[in-house]
Amino acid sequence: MTKFLVSRRTLLGATAALLASTALPRAAFAQDAVKGGRLIVAADSEPRNLNPAIVASNGVFFIASKVIEPLAEASFDGENGLAPRLATAWTGSEDGLSATFTLREGVTWHDGKPFTSEDVAFSALNVWKPLQNLGRLVFANLEAVDTPDPLTAIFRFSKPTPFQLIRNALPATTSVLPKHLYEGTDIPENPANAQLVGTGPFKFTEYKPGEYYLLSRNETYWGESEPNLDEILYRVLPDRAAAAGALEAEEIHLAAFSAVPLADLARIGEVEGIEVISKGYEGLTYQLVVEINHRTEQLANLKVRQAIAHAIDKQFVVDTIFLGYATAATGIVPQNAPEFYNPETPQYAFDVDKANALLDEAGYPRAADGNRFTLRLLPAPYFNETRQFGDYLRQALAEIGIDAQIANNDSAAHQQAVYTDHAFDLAIAPPVFRGDPAISTTILLRTATAEGVPFSNQGGYSNTALDTLIDDALIAVDEEERTALYNEVQVVAAEDLPLINVAEWGFITVARTSVHNVSNNPRWAVSNWSDTWIDG
Amino acid sequence: MHRAGKLVLRRLVGSIPVLLIVLVGTFFLLELASGDAVDAYLVSTGGGDAALVETLRANWGLDQSPITRLGLYLWNVLHLDFGYSVLLNRPILTVVLERLPNTLLLMGSAVALSFGIGSLLGIAAGSRPGSARDRLLSIGSLALYAVPSFWLGLVLVVVFSVQLRWLPLSGIETLASGKAGLDRALDIIRHLVLPVGALALIYLALYLRLMRAGMVEVWRQDFVLAARAKGLSRRRIVWRHVARNALLPLVTMLGLQSATMLGGSVVIESVFSIPGLGRLAQEAVSGRDTPLLMGIIVISAVLVILTNLIVDVVYAFLDPRVGASEASA
Amino acid sequence: MMARFAKSPEGLFGAAVLAVLIVIALGAPLFFPRDPLSIVGPALTAPFTDWALPLGTDRLGRNVLAGLVHGARASLLVGFAATIAAIIIGASVGTIAGFAGGLVDEILMRIVDAFQTVPGFLLALAFVSVIGASLPVVVLAIALGAWTGPARLARAEVLSLRERDYVAAARVIGMHPAEIAFREILPNALAPVLALSAVIVAGAILTEAALSFLGLGDPNIVTWGSMIAEGRAVLRSSPFLSIIPGLALVITVLGVYLFGEGLAEALSRRRVRL
Repeated sequence: MTKFLVSRRTLLGATAALLASTALPRAAFAQDAVKGGRLIVAADSEPRNLNPAIVASNGVFFIASKVIEPLAEASFDGENGLAPRLATAWTGSEDGLSATFTLREGVTWHDGKPFTSEDVAFSALNVWKPLQNLGRLVFANLEAVDTPDPLTAIFRFSKPTPFQLIRNALPATTSVLPKHLYEGTDIPENPANAQLVGTGPFKFTEYKPGEYYLLSRNETYWGESEPNLDEILYRVLPDRAAAAGALEAEEIHLAAFSAVPLADLARIGEVEGIEVISKGYEGLTYQLVVEINHRTEQLANLKVRQAIAHAIDKQFVVDTIFLGYATAATGIVPQNAPEFYNPETPQYAFDVDKANALLDEAGYPRAADGNRFTLRLLPAPYFNETRQFGDYLRQALAEIGIDAQIANNDSAAHQQAVYTDHAFDLAIAPPVFRGDPAISTTILLRTATAEGVPFSNQGGYSNTALDTLIDDALIAVDEEERTALYNEVQVVAAEDLPLINVAEWGFITVARTSVHNVSNNPRWAVSNWSDTWIDG
Repeated sequence: MHRAGKLVLRRLVGSIPVLLIVLVGTFFLLELASGDAVDAYLVSTGGGDAALVETLRANWGLDQSPITRLGLYLWNVLHLDFGYSVLLNRPILTVVLERLPNTLLLMGSAVALSFGIGSLLGIAAGSRPGSARDRLLSIGSLALYAVPSFWLGLVLVVVFSVQLRWLPLSGIETLASGKAGLDRALDIIRHLVLPVGALALIYLALYLRLMRAGMVEVWRQDFVLAARAKGLSRRRIVWRHVARNALLPLVTMLGLQSATMLGGSVVIESVFSIPGLGRLAQEAVSGRDTPLLMGIIVISAVLVILTNLIVDVVYAFLDPRVGASEASA
Repeated sequence: MMARFAKSPEGLFGAAVLAVLIVIALGAPLFFPRDPLSIVGPALTAPFTDWALPLGTDRLGRNVLAGLVHGARASLLVGFAATIAAIIIGASVGTIAGFAGGLVDEILMRIVDAFQTVPGFLLALAFVSVIGASLPVVVLAIALGAWTGPARLARAEVLSLRERDYVAAARVIGMHPAEIAFREILPNALAPVLALSAVIVAGAILTEAALSFLGLGDPNIVTWGSMIAEGRAVLRSSPFLSIIPGLALVITVLGVYLFGEGLAEALSRRRVRL
């Protein structure tokens, strides 16, 4: 693989601080990769639409990233944390109005047709910009894509678009689709969204709903002598408790995305032939956030929000709910995004007395039964940890005289209650930091423009000064200036608490020791696994 | 046979309004829900923007009034068209028919096993009512009947799959194994031992106790007393007269159990990760896939109706006393 | 009848189990005045290691014994409330159908049929998911799947009673049919319906546990089903977290069944003598 190392800017330092170092180091001596074999992996969901160019979500990438490739992938040691995939080089213009990509030679689609700049132009203009959940924002001002030759694509923007943002968004937003299969069709309903065709190391072979997805080796892959595996079989195990047992019984080789419950890791790590790996999710940091409905009278009061922040013992959350596989949050940008992370933000130490004092000051004394007021608390149902944190928060609030009544909803009802009806006071959400605050972080703070969109600011919070900073950063072409703006955003958010960041976590992979080259990039679970191999 | 035909026809006609009530009821129950399929979809894909939300609602026909959608749905069902699942994006009938065999296999095996063993043990208990053996069997089976199926499943998994490693712990067969014929059948049997065992152990009590109670009743009837007076051996009386007559209520129970069994499959399929109808129903509910859930419920209801029909016909054969008048509707 | 009941050891055992449980459930706030969901110690303390926490703690450090005791409250409450609801709904519908006859009877019985063809647990699952998990909703959801039995029983009873003398007499003195139904027939039909109630209570407790196990219980109270679900994630490292509440469920349900058996035997007019 061609690598051009200009400045080595490693994320590892931050990563080591972030994660409890329970990961066993992989065998350091180089082994020759064994060719062939079938890797069996646990899958916990079956996405309705498996097309990563339309649905940029980890559930889709987990399977589709082996079949359909982006222009670049995250990397521990590549320049700007990137490694080339379908593009081999990329530059942005000074004025932020264009970005040029040099594409890889000799790549063919799984159906034998050649891959060219036409495919990139088609995907960008017809899919990423109009249809994709994340691309809509990143490529909002994309006007045209010039294709002077089959291996060059020049993106033209109507307004300055920071190249830093484009670069950070490459792994997640630029999955390239074959133009010849999509042109002139109804793209969201195209059968190729289920029967994927890409350029990746594996071909989509078979899907049996409720049972498995089978991918098999692409003999004409551009990566030299790759992939190593003959097949990848995703076994659908929606039930989280089943994955651990399946690993122990050697029915599967690998479970990613913490499919094995955290509470089981200590035990399963002791099992012969199984290891627990906390690396490989640095580019997919999840944040545990308390969303606040600012329409609620008590919560519109800053002192009450500060009291809630002081009532949460972040260390307890990290130690007991995440069993150490997380880190306490200091603000809206996670610590393993060193490019943007600002350590100089106001902090709220765990201090029940101070929290009580703040509530007294705010004019909410305890009644005879010890309660000050009652709130509706809606934990998101997506993870065990969000539910458990809900249970913990209810108890933490009880300590300061706030009676929080939990309502557990399934995902559809939760989405409607929080993001459409706003029928909540506090909610718990796990938004993902996607490498750049503009992609999915600032939407949590900026005055909402639309209803009913999950993972956006639906708490009725509105702060003109903050909006201005966010909007300026969106068109700031100069990297230093842009970073400074985001540092400022972090300070304002920590002072005014539109929401409360509690912890940030990456997932855990549990694998049999027979699987090699696991977790060797920051988005490993959702990367292409071309170099992964398994003992014969 | 003419009589049986009449009975079948009457039952089928009578079940049409029942199905209609089921359909309309289910539809409005799901209309009450907060959140629809688009909400569930957005959460699973990590968001989007307002325009996307509107486009999706229009594409999936969720922007029309409930009455319009219900009418359209019923009209389509008349043509045996159950529509498309919004979550899986495939025809509902296909999806349901894919999953149905797994559930039928699971439930059928469990019923057969519990019926067979339960009735034999019931004979053992009922042949000497009041004996220590009778007490032990009755209480023991009742204790099993008191066990939550999901909990029994978990305990069995821990013992047989995790500790002893004798049996696979989830799924219905080894995936994409390329096995066929007898090998495949054996593989499926190995996967089904635990879930079927868990269900059969629990339902055992039903048949055991019914059999026993039926036998206790029959013991006191005149013809048995006459047989005893004639000096027939106890064993012969049990097998020739008592057990045969006591079987009837068990057959009725089979029909009554069918709906309960289908409901019970939800939890057990979730514990053992079996891709059956029960798990599909759970996914349909949490994904707000109204058409899919309705399809499942209609098809379950049809199954229950058919089972009861078969039971009635069998009953009519077993017990000639059930005339054209039928047992209570 | 009491004397008869006292003759059956199974019934007595069931009564004893129920009595103990009711004492525990009523006394829960006295034994453990704190919210059983509050965090009181280090997480995953094993049972019998700390006398302050005799049965240990769960994943968040909540007292298992307190959860067990308060869970008894929830289980019994749901069991009895759902049964009472099911019997009230069922007996009323059955009585009306039996008494009114004709089209009303036909329609009501078709509705009963409809409820019997839909798997009860599936209905409860859909109902709770849709309305939202809280104790009254769970109770109603379970009752929805259990009222058809009492309805059929009540109707059959009414049909057999309808022709009896006192009903005819009531008609003669000009009582309104509805009045006859509720004043004369309902109390008479209640005995066999009550015999059925033990089975419904047991079923309700199990259904509640299964709903909680699937994460559809009320999150603000402790139930045995939710304790089993909580413990499931650590089934292999701390199996006691699932096993203890599971055993509590088994003993409770068995107690209810045995009590019901004893009751049915005492109520039945013909004792089997062998």
